[in-house]
Amino acid sequence: MPKVTIDNEVLEFDGQHKLLQLCLDRGQELPHFCYHPAMSVPANCRQCLVKVGMPKVDRATREPVLDEDGNPVIQYFPKLQTSCSLDVTDGMVVHTHRTDELVSRAQRDNLELLLINHPLDCPICDQAGHCPLQNQAYKYGPEGSRFEFRKVKKPKAVPLGPRVMLDGERCINCTRCVRFTDEISKSHQLTIIGRGVRNYPMTPPGMEFDDPYSMNVIDICPVGALTSIDFRFKARAWEVSKTPSITATNAKGSNCFYWVKDNRIVNVTARENADVNGFWLPDEDRLNTDRFNDNRPDGPKVRMGGQLVDASWDEAYDAAGALLRGVTGKDVLFIGSAHASVEDNYLLTRLAAHLNADAPVYVPHVVAGADDDWLVTDDKTPNAAGCERLGIHPADPAVLKSRLASGDVKVVYVMDDDPVGAGVLAANDLDDVAVILHHSHTTNTTLASADVALPSAMIVETIGTFVNTDGHAQRVRPAKAIKGVNRSLMMEMGKSRLDEHATPFDRWSVEDNKVSCQPGWEALPAIAGRVSLDLKFKGPKQVMAQVAADHSAFEGATYEAMGLSGVRLVESGAVV
Amino acid sequence: MEVTSSSGTSSGKATSNAGNWKEYERVLLPPVKDLHKLDVYEDKGGYAALREVLTGKWEPATVADTVKASGLRGRGGASFNTGLKWTFMPPVDDGPRYLCCNGDESEPGTFKDRQLMEYNPHLVFEGILIACYAMSITTCYLYIRGEYADWITHMERELEKAYARGYVGKNIFGTDFSTDIVIHKGAGAYICGEETSLMESLEGKRAYPRIKPPFPAQFGCWGRPTTINNVETLACVPLIISRGADWFAGLGAKTLPGPVLYGISGHVNRPGVYEYPTGMLISDLIYDVCRGMRNDKKLKAVVPGGSSTPPLRADMIDGICMDADSLREAGSMMGTAGMLVMDEDTDMVKWLRRVSHFYHHESCGQCTPCREGTGWLERLVAKIDEGEGNLRDLDLLIDLCSEMEGRTVCALADAAAWPVRYTLDRFRDEFEAKCRPSSVPVTQLVTA
Repeated sequence: MPKVTIDNEVLEFDGQHKLLQLCLDRGQELPHFCYHPAMSVPANCRQCLVKVGMPKVDRATREPVLDEDGNPVIQYFPKLQTSCSLDVTDGMVVHTHRTDELVSRAQRDNLELLLINHPLDCPICDQAGHCPLQNQAYKYGPEGSRFEFRKVKKPKAVPLGPRVMLDGERCINCTRCVRFTDEISKSHQLTIIGRGVRNYPMTPPGMEFDDPYSMNVIDICPVGALTSIDFRFKARAWEVSKTPSITATNAKGSNCFYWVKDNRIVNVTARENADVNGFWLPDEDRLNTDRFNDNRPDGPKVRMGGQLVDASWDEAYDAAGALLRGVTGKDVLFIGSAHASVEDNYLLTRLAAHLNADAPVYVPHVVAGADDDWLVTDDKTPNAAGCERLGIHPADPAVLKSRLASGDVKVVYVMDDDPVGAGVLAANDLDDVAVILHHSHTTNTTLASADVALPSAMIVETIGTFVNTDGHAQRVRPAKAIKGVNRSLMMEMGKSRLDEHATPFDRWSVEDNKVSCQPGWEALPAIAGRVSLDLKFKGPKQVMAQVAADHSAFEGATYEAMGLSGVRLVESGAVV
Repeated sequence: MEVTSSSGTSSGKATSNAGNWKEYERVLLPPVKDLHKLDVYEDKGGYAALREVLTGKWEPATVADTVKASGLRGRGGASFNTGLKWTFMPPVDDGPRYLCCNGDESEPGTFKDRQLMEYNPHLVFEGILIACYAMSITTCYLYIRGEYADWITHMERELEKAYARGYVGKNIFGTDFSTDIVIHKGAGAYICGEETSLMESLEGKRAYPRIKPPFPAQFGCWGRPTTINNVETLACVPLIISRGADWFAGLGAKTLPGPVLYGISGHVNRPGVYEYPTGMLISDLIYDVCRGMRNDKKLKAVVPGGSSTPPLRADMIDGICMDADSLREAGSMMGTAGMLVMDEDTDMVKWLRRVSHFYHHESCGQCTPCREGTGWLERLVAKIDEGEGNLRDLDLLIDLCSEMEGRTVCALADAAAWPVRYTLDRFRDEFEAKCRPSSVPVTQLVTA
């Protein structure tokens, strides 16, 4: 197998590699800015320079030349090479900044040059704290600057489009954003304008940067030149916790980080997952973060004397149990949800089966024509495929209406959805039946017809499994805390610097913005217990183990196997 | 005015590598009236070399071998063996291949291609066609800098005539060889003269130089095999065919043979473009060809090959010839043979300030060291020129040159750094004289 020597350490490699990627894959850091594994290599930042040599070969004998000690003589390239553009070849000898003074000096020089016209406004820059330029300047840069002239002036706070703001002075011309629109999103909406030190990215005249994937350039910008118009100045990087999870806007289940400050979701950024979304995230997944924060219900309510009044959780569960007790078969209608996890839907099917009712149905949320063959799907729910695999199928409004009109139905059980708002049912269809509703927003239209209203946790507050449109099962993790579920007990929540280093007496530990709600895997067993069904599990992990045991379509989907990147389930044959 | 070659320096003793240059008969720019007209060019044996190659059934490889044997080296500045470059082209496949004739002459002090295009355009076309034949190419882009607007019109007019007579286009001389020549106007960027950014510019993109490898012969214009040659280089090709490789190899300096256009500017009595063999003594060029220094001033500095080549002090040019080896020995380069001559009144700091301004203005901004470094260099030199510099700025200048040299995609960073490094190195006293004196005398520092 071909061998390469990096910093005096010999390693074997296989296939075609760029040197920089090989080092990064092995966990050996090399400073770099312009290189991005998903895009072409322009080698323009010149930060990843390394010293490279090949064993000297005798021209006549084709044998390697040896020195007095019997070691091969290495012939180094006269110039330092950019490791990002260099193909690794057999016998290559590489010295990085760890073993070569010239390389570390070149890297330091380059950072000095990068910083001479950089505004160094880190204290007011959104990128500060997670900025590759800042981090690498501290790590590899010079102690100060010898530049004593005025820095170049360039346009600042220029909206390139509805979602992305440009600060030209911070730009280091890595061209990642330009290459993204050229090579990845193919919208060709950005280019570099100007020449030399006055270069910065801009849209062509008369064009707006309204690419539906435009905000990815914010993620890949190695400095604070491109910031989110929606998120800028809302939070510093060290004030937020970042929880790895998946997005819920459509059936693709793109991997993301939820940024949380003061128990509010403030930003969503892309998380790499080669099997699902690569490095990218559509803008629709990043925006409207307020839907997780605003119009959230505060505690359960029970209808008394025609009014929904506040109740304790036990009172609410008792009321729901009382409605379900005695009903059986055709008396009850279960509506599951493609917004809820596999675990919650599974528990609902168990409850329905216990009452001899029909299998639950779910309300489809489909926007025809939204699909772009990439990361946006027609289906606007994150778990329709998971529901199908559990035997939960889309509701047929005609069937629902005729059953309600027949007068047989006494109770309608709705989990995490809004059938009235979605147009599947009309409000007066529910006039003569009791409605048990798990809802996540006070704007839920079905709430007006509810007799027991149980606030439920959203995807950012729970633990569970979601199956995307390609049959990829992925876990979600709680990003923000809710009332009632012990934060430390979950053990899964992303941590901010404050979480890790502050004390409970610090101001950050506020109860504000915590929603009083319960995840389905807590609420459903509580109700099931009141109709003498034992659905008690230790937690969602045990529920999922049971699901995998009961349904072959979920074979292998254990929490351990899913980890951070999910598992691809066997083909179910079900049409979503 | 009679000016002897011995005035000023001791060049009389030195030997020129150009042989008997006083008897030299011009071939690139022969003294023929209206040679740019196709009729005149034909009368003087024009397009005979092309006819010979095409109707004489030369193998394309034979053409390339002849050029290789002639020892022709590129006249665009890098002096790379032209025939060898042609052999880098991969074997013919189904797709197109391109020749780019580089007429983006932008190096300050260089203005020879303009003369060729003005006075002998058909020689350029003939050279292009022969080169295309040698490499089985059917399209050549002649990239002319936009500032040469008049010359572009001129070349387009002459090209049209060549098309009308059947020298360019379909089935040249009734053979099955066809080639188109497309004249492309540059848009005013120095960097477009760099071969890879010339191709980017042709493709309609930003002229950012490409990383090599892959080299243009593998991945050139639109990803197809491409060769890029300078205007003067290609103009030599018909001469090599008609007069033979031996004739060419025997002219001038051994390692860089052939006729060359010396573009001499600056403080000489008769600046201009002169055609002589390579290997001319610099002193001959100044004191004989150009009739000496203007106003009989003393020579101070010579920049031998365009502004990016290191300048030579007057005392360094003794016996130095205009060829690669001799100039390397002296500490400079042949470049484009665009020679800048400066007399004793020249302020080298001001000169360097102007040169640095040029490279700052022309840096494309792709690579960090060049984008940031060229501006810093200019401002430091300007600061010194304004009398506000300190001695440590001189060291900083040298440091900056080391930070830029050899660390970028193309050679512009080197082109910007070399004049700074070598002007400072060879005229340091002038820089020191402009710097502020140190506030603490060195003696105090030593004794304290």
